[in-house]
Amino acid sequence: MIVGRRDGRAGQDVLRRAGEASVLILISLAGGPRHGYALIQDIRELAGVELGPGTLYGALDRLERLGLIESLPAEDRRHPYRITAPGAAALRVHLDSLERVSAAGRLRLRLGGI
Amino acid sequence: MDAPRTARLVETVLRCYPARWRRRHGEEAAELAALLIRDGTPASSIAWSYLAGAVRERLTPRPGLRLGTVACALLAAACLLGASAGLLAPAAPARAASTSQPRGRAQCQRGSPEPGPSVIPATGRAQVIIWEAGHDRSC
Repeated sequence: MIVGRRDGRAGQDVLRRAGEASVLILISLAGGPRHGYALIQDIRELAGVELGPGTLYGALDRLERLGLIESLPAEDRRHPYRITAPGAAALRVHLDSLERVSAAGRLRLRLGGI
Repeated sequence: MDAPRTARLVETVLRCYPARWRRRHGEEAAELAALLIRDGTPASSIAWSYLAGAVRERLTPRPGLRLGTVACALLAAACLLGASAGLLAPAAPARAASTSQPRGRAQCQRGSPEPGPSVIPATGRAQVIIWEAGHDRSC
């Protein structure tokens, strides 16, 4: 994945090519730190998406490498993860971008009378 | 599938991950699989997900290793090229000499000075083939 900036500053949608799993994980972590099992459950409730454990760990490693999340000290055998400030900024930029596209789509549907 | 068998299946699949990954996530991943199976997720789908993850993990180059991998690949390619050139080099002149001789004769007409090769025995070395004057003419 090619990312322009690690810190997700204004204008750079670093999550554009990150995949749905990464975005859903960031949205889930925006509500507070969570470990793997809690993330899967939360994403299931939030988006109706069943995230496979292999996909989950791949996305967590990628997001951590990008500095968008960080792992907290292990509780028992579980590693909770927390969204970082650059991660929150990147998520905000991505959601803004999705909103713009969504609004444009709705407008065109309305104008087209579909 | 009974519990020991599913546990064994997940354990086997988790062994496909690199050691670095297993040290970091191994125990948690096994526990997560057990929790998901308890919730009703089929063991086979968990195993497939981990298997796909292991393949991705093995295929994705680490940022630190990328430069080293490229350097190794270039070095290997250079060695391969060098070895091929070394193997082909001794065979090339001999092949050139054997193929050029009949072609030169076939192109020439009868009566014209034949610019065929003359063989001069070289002392103590392999025979040297020299084309005589007139080889630049049309025949």
